[in-house]
Amino acid sequence: MECPSRTGQAGELIVAYIARTLDVETAADFGKHLLACAACRELTAGQEAVWSALEEWLPLAVSPGFDERLLRRITAEEHAQQGWWRRIAWPAWSWRPALPVAAACAVLVTAFLLKNFERAAAPATPVQPGASIEQVEHALDDMDMLKQLGVEAAAASPQS
Amino acid sequence: MLLVRDGDQAGFGLLLERYRGSVIHFLYRMVQNQAVAEELAQEVFLRVYRFRETYQPTAKFTTWLFRIATHLGLNWIRDRRHEKLQDSLDEESSDGAAIQLADRNKTVEQELLYQAKLREVRQAIEGLPAKQRAAVLMHKYEEMEYAEIAKALSCSESAVKSLLFRAYESLRGRLAHMA
Repeated sequence: MECPSRTGQAGELIVAYIARTLDVETAADFGKHLLACAACRELTAGQEAVWSALEEWLPLAVSPGFDERLLRRITAEEHAQQGWWRRIAWPAWSWRPALPVAAACAVLVTAFLLKNFERAAAPATPVQPGASIEQVEHALDDMDMLKQLGVEAAAASPQS
Repeated sequence: MLLVRDGDQAGFGLLLERYRGSVIHFLYRMVQNQAVAEELAQEVFLRVYRFRETYQPTAKFTTWLFRIATHLGLNWIRDRRHEKLQDSLDEESSDGAAIQLADRNKTVEQELLYQAKLREVRQAIEGLPAKQRAAVLMHKYEEMEYAEIAKALSCSESAVKSLLFRAYESLRGRLAHMA
């Protein structure tokens, strides 16, 4: 076996060797290599020390109320979801007061539409063709002139 | 898990019974605080229950479970990082790092030596970057394969190998004298 330190495989191989995840043949080959290679032997010894140090860290006892607390949370969450669904879907809650409100809205909308329809259907206010401001001004001027003529004629007649 | 997905409530109890310990211990070693670890483990199982109907058995159940646990653990570490600067090591016992039960066959001296070793191991693990820490814990204590760890950490197998190599190198530097 070629020295794994030279091929850059040492780290992975040693970890797998210590963790006993190598296949039997590779593990045997590496075991033989260790007898001959001081560098790999040193690395493996260091890794074994790490491995056994980590094994000192034993698991702790789980708190006795863990399951109960979890089940309480699950139950609370399910109740909250049911409440949410009821608020949306339960007909006795939502639709009974909504019906008169909807009817009132429908009446208002109909009235508004009818009013608009009548306004649209009514004929436009008649406008006399040709009537303009100038014509009105002319008419007023003519009336003023007639008034003046009438006054002058009245003043001249008793003298004659 | 397939039974739980199909509405079998007893199946959830069995899942809890089977995986409760390993999830809590994994999270405890990640966050080094028993109360926080149990709180996070509650969240893990709550999510498993919440998403039971959408569960697809595309990967092993444990991979999915540890993916959720790792995600929660890494998030907690990330959020806690800035607070950690203010803490001192003296607060160790008050922040929930439980002291392992003493072996009655040990003398006081042996027990003290053991607790000192344990403290060193915990500090060495805590000193690893969060992702390396998660990879080592899954590899060493949960005996998960590279492919499973890769799925749990959402990275490639070669990235996992690299994470583990660097983590074990770092641990060797800190713990090799304990041989």
